[in-house]
Amino acid sequence: MYGFEALTFNVHAGYLEAIVRGHRAGLLTAADYNNLCQCETLDDIKMHLSATEYGPYLQNEPSPLHTTTIVEKCTLKLVEDYKHMLCQATEPLSTFLEYITYGHMIDNVVLIVTGTLHERDVQELLEKCHPLGMFDSIATLAVAQNMRELYRLVLVDTPLAPYFSECITSEDLDDMNIEIMRNTLYKAYLEDFYRFCQKLGGATAEIMSDLLSFEADRRAVNISINSIGTELTRDDRKKLYSNFGLLHPYGHEELAVCEDIDQVRGVMEKYPPYQSIFSKLSYGESQMLDKAFYEEEVKRLCLAFEQQFHYGVFFAYMRLREQEIRNLMWISECVAQNQKSRVHDSVVFIF
Amino acid sequence: MEEQDQMQSSIEVEELEEQQQREGKRLEEENVVRFLDSLDSYVTLLDSLSSTLRQGWLELASARQSMGASRINGALLDLKFHSAATSLQVTHHDDEILNQPHFTLCKWASSKNGYGDEKLRENKLQTNSDGPQLRHRSQFAGTPEKIPETKGAPLIVDDQVQKERTKSLSMFGTLVSPKLRAAQLSFETALETLVEIANVRLTMLSTSDQVRKELEGTEG
Repeated sequence: MYGFEALTFNVHAGYLEAIVRGHRAGLLTAADYNNLCQCETLDDIKMHLSATEYGPYLQNEPSPLHTTTIVEKCTLKLVEDYKHMLCQATEPLSTFLEYITYGHMIDNVVLIVTGTLHERDVQELLEKCHPLGMFDSIATLAVAQNMRELYRLVLVDTPLAPYFSECITSEDLDDMNIEIMRNTLYKAYLEDFYRFCQKLGGATAEIMSDLLSFEADRRAVNISINSIGTELTRDDRKKLYSNFGLLHPYGHEELAVCEDIDQVRGVMEKYPPYQSIFSKLSYGESQMLDKAFYEEEVKRLCLAFEQQFHYGVFFAYMRLREQEIRNLMWISECVAQNQKSRVHDSVVFIF
Repeated sequence: MEEQDQMQSSIEVEELEEQQQREGKRLEEENVVRFLDSLDSYVTLLDSLSSTLRQGWLELASARQSMGASRINGALLDLKFHSAATSLQVTHHDDEILNQPHFTLCKWASSKNGYGDEKLRENKLQTNSDGPQLRHRSQFAGTPEKIPETKGAPLIVDDQVQKERTKSLSMFGTLVSPKLRAAQLSFETALETLVEIANVRLTMLSTSDQVRKELEGTEG
């Protein structure tokens, strides 16, 4: 029952909540970002990061550095933190933590399948997979010719199996089918995660509902914008929207028929939580939309730490670290391309 | 009388010689101005190429930031055999003054749909209208070529070009961010600029040779 978590939460998850709040204190501060934004080379970035929690992961990397190396090594830190928490967690927290990685699993499956379709080497593709989304039989994905085989040969024994029921066909895998498969899987995963959190109840259900609803709404907007001018029909577009969130169902009806950015804006401005996001953009422009959404997401994730005795802090920490890694990737790219004036285009400050 | 006739004819010869000298000088000046024009265009285009490429690379990084590193990376590039979406045609100018090859970019031309010629024409239209404004100091440079507009056909061509653009981006997925499309346009513009640079460089080298020959002739 909501309100009584304080009595029992710490019995099973108190240690891990303390651990994750400690990790949160290690996130980069505004002063760190100021120093990083003034770096002239990637070696300077490495030097500044050596004083942070990323230091041990980058110290042995030889020069010249590459932006992908910095991202890879920083991701290792996130993976280590996650694995430590997972191995210490008991049910239902362990299942909750596993849910956090299913999105990466879906991305890895699509990467392998797409790369195989383009006749790329499997080893090369495996190196590009996100470590949080790896599973044992992932390399076997390369032999599947259609979704039915994909499911039967590989995915039936993975946590993604229940999400495949809506997209099993015998059609050969091509670029459009793969895209639809990606979005259908992600939709099913989000809905399943949402239901799981609702079952947990209490503060976890309340906080995670808000975070997952935001995620579902953001996905709906991105799908609408990215499908403008493509062959995706309105009905197919609507099928990719999740069955929850602030925009469900009326916002989805309107988004499904949008033909340009301004129409999407017109739909979103009817919803007060998203008015502030779209008010930052000028008409016809969508370049800063991602940053506006990330800023809103970070605000909500930070609020999750204001309350105790719920699992939302674990989700929030993972997402905040991913945002931090995105920030580091962007700063590294701007430094590497000698475009430091553009560094503040995409950096989202945390706390 | 005879003396007068002789004087008249010598004056005429002198006048003719003067006229020929003036004509020769005018041609020399014309070549120098043509060379300077092409050099100016070359430098302008190089600068334009540099800024377009910088913009393209940053847009690609921005798209990667938006869509995720697993969706935009080199491992997704298609290694299957497929026909080139864009090709380069080399034609020879019929110009009497500059007898040199001319490069033309044939964008988004596919042998399957037979829209190759329309693409070539559309590319010329775009190159003429969107390219950097080249300054022509010389009055002898000739007026820019005017291509008559057609109504209706450009819409079909635009639609086909858009489809070809989407097809080439499909290796990263069919629902891609507008930032990736913007990066594609930037690199497309850079490719057009490269071809223009090649043409202007040929003109520059050709006029430079002519000017050098004239100078050597004058010194000799």
